[in-house]
Amino acid sequence: MARTRLLAHRGRSWTEERGAIPFLLPALAVLCLVSLYPLIRGVSRVFYVYRALTRQDVFSGFENFGLLFKDPVFFRAFGNSLVWTVVSVAAMFFISYVLATLLNSRYLRFRRFLRATTLIPWAIPGVVVSLIWRYIFLSDGPANALLSAVGVANPPAWLTSPQLALWTCIIANIWMGLPFVTIMLLAGLQSVEGDILEAAAIDGASYLQSQLRVVMPSIKKVILIVLTLEAIWTFNSFDIVFVMTKGGPGSASMTLPLYAYQNAFMYYQAGYGAAIGVVILAVLLLAVVLYIREVLQ
Amino acid sequence: MRMSVAKQVLLHVVVLAMIVGLVFPVLILVFNSLKTETDIFASPVGPPHAVTWDNFRRVLTDPRFATNLRNSAVVATATVLLSVIVTAPAGYALSRFKFRGRTVFSMWLLATQAFPGIIMVLGLFFVLKRYDLINRLPGLIIMHTSFSMPFSIWLLKGYFDKISVEIEEAARIDGCSRLQSLVKVVFPLAVPGFLAVATFSLLLSWNEFFFALVLMRDNAHYTLPVYLVRFLGSGGVVQWGPLSAAALLITIPVFVLFLLGQRYLVSGLTGGAIK
Repeated sequence: MARTRLLAHRGRSWTEERGAIPFLLPALAVLCLVSLYPLIRGVSRVFYVYRALTRQDVFSGFENFGLLFKDPVFFRAFGNSLVWTVVSVAAMFFISYVLATLLNSRYLRFRRFLRATTLIPWAIPGVVVSLIWRYIFLSDGPANALLSAVGVANPPAWLTSPQLALWTCIIANIWMGLPFVTIMLLAGLQSVEGDILEAAAIDGASYLQSQLRVVMPSIKKVILIVLTLEAIWTFNSFDIVFVMTKGGPGSASMTLPLYAYQNAFMYYQAGYGAAIGVVILAVLLLAVVLYIREVLQ
Repeated sequence: MRMSVAKQVLLHVVVLAMIVGLVFPVLILVFNSLKTETDIFASPVGPPHAVTWDNFRRVLTDPRFATNLRNSAVVATATVLLSVIVTAPAGYALSRFKFRGRTVFSMWLLATQAFPGIIMVLGLFFVLKRYDLINRLPGLIIMHTSFSMPFSIWLLKGYFDKISVEIEEAARIDGCSRLQSLVKVVFPLAVPGFLAVATFSLLLSWNEFFFALVLMRDNAHYTLPVYLVRFLGSGGVVQWGPLSAAALLITIPVFVLFLLGQRYLVSGLTGGAIK
């Protein structure tokens, strides 16, 4: 008894508030120096415009936002970014859900090996992924060679067609995102008890019904985390479009991060690039807030 | 509820088809790296007719490749070490202490995931300029560490949660100070967590492209992803053979380490998400 009381007493001092400070200090220092401070400085750039004549950044209030709302390329990039993110994440979720369900089946042989193989795209650098897919979709590349082989007369020019360029990049992005989503969903599925499914089956639920009404709700939290993170990463993603199409042809596959980069580092309009960045930040913080509200409920 | 044999066969066929879809693009890269330029476009899909090592020879004899490989190795190693050192105490604090601002801190970590690269890089110019770190490897190391931190702290919190407080208390009763019990008892138990963080931050740093592209200004300071894109851009015609060889050489080291570390990373990620 005495020993337990002693432990309880020590347990309190163990979780004492002041004690946390030295543990948090290094992380807080790094976060403030390279996350909080640059965020503030970066956002403040939005109020400055570079004047080529005097070669100086001049305070200009909301001028950059004014320009933004008159810029058709910005709107094009905004629309593209939404399509890019929604389609990518929806497809990743659908394909990964099917794959995770299959990988979770107790009738599958070599499960460990097959699960490990699904992780492969995860280990490949984004620029390498982009190069592989750029090659696959060359007009005389593997994709069209396969299409010709099955008798398609005029296979499309994937990367240089204004209608297809963005979609071609989306395919590469989906491929790259599949391992993470699959592995997370698989972990969720493994935590679902077999008996709930059997109970649902006894109650006469069809396979699809039991997936939608029983399995998905019970792994709702994992689904939410994965979709939010993947949406944030995809909306912010730069490598694939930069390497595969550079936003082209014209601005057909331009996304917001790429357009911001071009303005800031190719046209020397840092303020304008920052304005695009602020729009990205606003959209993503909305996603984070929705996510936090959902999780805290 | 036994599955019929036909369905079992179908299950294997579908899974194999999906796995092929995930692996085949990588195989194409391997094939191309071993093909001559004419062979690449004569048969874009299949294996090489005659294996050539010229592509690899060309990349490996390029002095820029060696320099940039060294840069990538330095940046990635430093990022891994720094990430573990900085996030281990923070993850521990998040797991063990109830402090004011704990929720705010967790939310801040999540929110950092949403910060656009362009804003960060524009803001960072001020910080890095002040310490003369633009076009320097330490600047990139600090950046990569800050990217890996939020996720790593969250990963480690999950691992520390699994280590019972009683073990620490027992150590304390045996006369250990808090620091001693941490170093001698808790950290050794959290090694799988450190390996998860190491794998995650290694992957992140080795593969990171945007900040390396913007912050590094010359050949002497590029990392491998930038090397690859420069390679792609030099000259009008893309030489897919050497490019594929370079891409493969860049992928192999991190791929091997990923295979070794993936089970820690996977169990860390999924463990944290399920709870």
